Amino acid sequence: MQKLLIYPVVLILANPMMLPGQEQPVKPVTAVNVHVLGPQKLGNLSPVVVPPGNPQSSSKILLGKQLYFDTRLSLDNTISCATCHDPAMGWSDAGPTSTGISGQKGGRRSPPVSNAAYSQLQFWDGRAATLEDQAKGPIANPIEMGSTHDVMIRTVEDIPGYVEEFKKVFGTSTITIDMVADAIAAFERTVVTTDSPFDRYVRGDEEALTRMEKKGLEIFNGKGHCTLCHWGPYFSDGRFHNLGVAPTDPASPDEGRFVVTNDPADKGAFKTPTIRDVALRAPYMHNGSEKDLDAGIDLYNKGGRVKDANLDPLILPLSLTKKEKEALVSFMKRAMTSTNPEVSGVKPPSVSDLPK
Amino acid sequence: MKKFILYSITVLVIAFILPVKTQAIPAFARKYGYNCNMCHTGFTKLNDFGQRFRDNGYQIPGQEGKEKNVFDLAPPLALRLSFGHTLYNNDEGTASSFNLYGLDLLAAGVLHKNISFLFIYTPRIDEPSSIFSGLDSINSNPSQFGRLESANLVFSNIIKDALNIRIGRFEPGYHIISSKRTYYLFQPYEVYLMTSPRNNYTFDDNQIGIEATGHFQGGFKYAAGFTNGTGASADNNNYKDLYLSMTQTLGKGDGQSAGQRIGLFGYYGWQPLTLPGTVIATNGQTNGSDNKTFYRLGVSASANWKTLNMQMIYYLGSDNKALNTLDATKNYKFNGGFVELSYAGFLNNRLIASAMYNWVRPPSYDSDSEVNAYSALCRYYLGDWSAINIAIHAEYTHRITGGATKNKENVFALALDFAF
Ligand code: HEC
Ligand code: HEC
Repeated sequence: MQKLLIYPVVLILANPMMLPGQEQPVKPVTAVNVHVLGPQKLGNLSPVVVPPGNPQSSSKILLGKQLYFDTRLSLDNTISCATCHDPAMGWSDAGPTSTGISGQKGGRRSPPVSNAAYSQLQFWDGRAATLEDQAKGPIANPIEMGSTHDVMIRTVEDIPGYVEEFKKVFGTSTITIDMVADAIAAFERTVVTTDSPFDRYVRGDEEALTRMEKKGLEIFNGKGHCTLCHWGPYFSDGRFHNLGVAPTDPASPDEGRFVVTNDPADKGAFKTPTIRDVALRAPYMHNGSEKDLDAGIDLYNKGGRVKDANLDPLILPLSLTKKEKEALVSFMKRAMTSTNPEVSGVKPPSVSDLPK
Repeated sequence: MKKFILYSITVLVIAFILPVKTQAIPAFARKYGYNCNMCHTGFTKLNDFGQRFRDNGYQIPGQEGKEKNVFDLAPPLALRLSFGHTLYNNDEGTASSFNLYGLDLLAAGVLHKNISFLFIYTPRIDEPSSIFSGLDSINSNPSQFGRLESANLVFSNIIKDALNIRIGRFEPGYHIISSKRTYYLFQPYEVYLMTSPRNNYTFDDNQIGIEATGHFQGGFKYAAGFTNGTGASADNNNYKDLYLSMTQTLGKGDGQSAGQRIGLFGYYGWQPLTLPGTVIATNGQTNGSDNKTFYRLGVSASANWKTLNMQMIYYLGSDNKALNTLDATKNYKFNGGFVELSYAGFLNNRLIASAMYNWVRPPSYDSDSEVNAYSALCRYYLGDWSAINIAIHAEYTHRITGGATKNKENVFALALDFAF
């Protein structure tokens, strides 16, 4: 009890010691916090939750969009976020894994930026807690954009158009990496797809899905077991599972979540990706090892591609018939593909539109 | 017969008028928004995931403590009802009747991380019975006794996966093939009902006691328990019966709907010869004495190929000769089993077709207890909604009982099996 009383006092005392501008420690998002609600029903996405530290504004979103599409953020002016997260490719890339600066290949598939705002943890292994955190990564990643934060900031500071915009948005002409990350994250929070045939069906339009797609949905939520993990409006539980995906290099397999948590139960476990717009971004899985949706379903139907001691207990052979597989594919193909004009139509600003 | 045809038409009409729109224990399905087939091959039979969910104390493996519990949800109640029309015939004649076959009230849920409960109550129904053991019995009353079929608490993952404890009245783990979750509404697993003349233990009964279960990575599972061995009745002696069941799954799956599974089980119990004339404890227990032993020893198997499942159980029973009122010089020994072949078809297993053979072989001096039963059924599910399901159920059995003088019976029933 005493401890309980002292605790708030300490908090109050500790607070003023945090000087303005000093980096607030990022509160680790605990697993329980993330998952406390348990399986939720499939449905329409609710509006994105905006963190209090990074409120949205139209000028910030525009700035973020420009930065997102600007190859000058990379060391050799060849790579932007959109190189690997291209709106025309379901906000991912051709894969199977991403190609960064100087043609270097990464080991993982580019996940979609669309709806990433609903993901509680970022990256396949959940190593970043927020979009802001995440956005700082690729710029300084030697095989992605190959730069450093300092070099990138200097580049941006040399572009008067950007300096002006940052001043307008953040009220200062001293550009920091946090501002860049905030702006990009603000843009990403607008990349949400809320209008798929599935969404219209949930809103009551019986005609929005074909008979086959309805069957597919039924199987997705029943015999196929898909909603054990792909649940809720975001079609993801935000958790990490080992599906027995075929490793790229069996000699040194990607250990996924284990690298972050060091928990043996997380070996080979990856974050459940959303199914929204999934048809736009083959090949699939963290290493792009399943070439299309049929192959992906085949993996589940077999109860995993490879034998893995750490296989998730939710992965079991499904005895799906050919017809059932077809129904699942048809559901994921058209019914889950959004038609939001503001999102699917996002065009990279032309070079002449970028700040000079 | 005319009545029957009329009835069939009515059922079909209802089937097609009902809104067949997308969307068992239905309380679970509602909790997650899942369709019945998440856990069932076709309700009521569990699929592999359903089995894992049950084994994990009604929690999704990996989500223990991260799900809503019963206090966050609408009351987790469910109901199962079946009614329909039966045609019965034996050497003496034919009978036909509408019946309310059964009604179960169920409640189940998670109370707290790794603590859950299951509660199944069957109310008494003073209506024509559907127990077909002759023309007279078709109208015997009541058709269902009021009883707490299940009322138990489960403490899961005391040691992760390896130790779970169930206490209360529960379905014992040696029911590798559950008679509570069989597709068959009318034909029982005959050998489960077999009892010797003076033994009031029935293999089929849920028991009161405590059970430990566990499952392991390589596909090995066990269940071990202590029970009264007297079903819903009070205990009749101071010995507790005990049992052990072990199964091994080969290949991926849990042996329910994928993979192959073999099993071995044994039950060892005591029956008193002498019961005190009056009940000695307030709760009805007696300290019966002159306890004599009996055992059951059996094997089980389940094999899956695509959506075809074959499952079987065979066991031997032996009751001490002191319990044998027919021939006190010998232990009463019998054996029996069943083989069941089921097929799931149509999208999302809408159609279940099954055939089954049951046999019971009593000792030669009790040949009246011999059974050979040939059954077949077809179930068609009207939907795969998340909170309700209705199946049209047609089932036929040709049953031959007795040794020297054989009694032949035919039962045909068309029913609606309904759960929400
Ligand atoms: C060279 C290709 C490449 C570039 C350039 C790139 N990314 Fe990525 N991005 C990836 C890959 C690959 C991953 C997954 C990495 C992992 O999980 O370890 C990823 C992950 C992400 C995620 C996490 C999504 C999720 O669901 O977990 C977001 C958000 C993201 N990137 C945004 C960006 C932004 C913003 C930029 C520009 C600043 C950017 N990316 C630049 C390849 C790239
Ligand atoms: C045990 C949890 C789980 C279940 C059940 C599950 N998924 Fe997945 N799904 C995942 C995870 C985790 C990944 C990523 C795995 C990886 O890359 O290693 C994934 C990836 C996918 C992908 C690839 C998406 C992408 O962007 O690469 C598709 C498609 C998919 N799942 C569809 C399904 C379908 C269809 C079902 C049902 C038949 C299903 N999932 C059942 C967890 C699950």
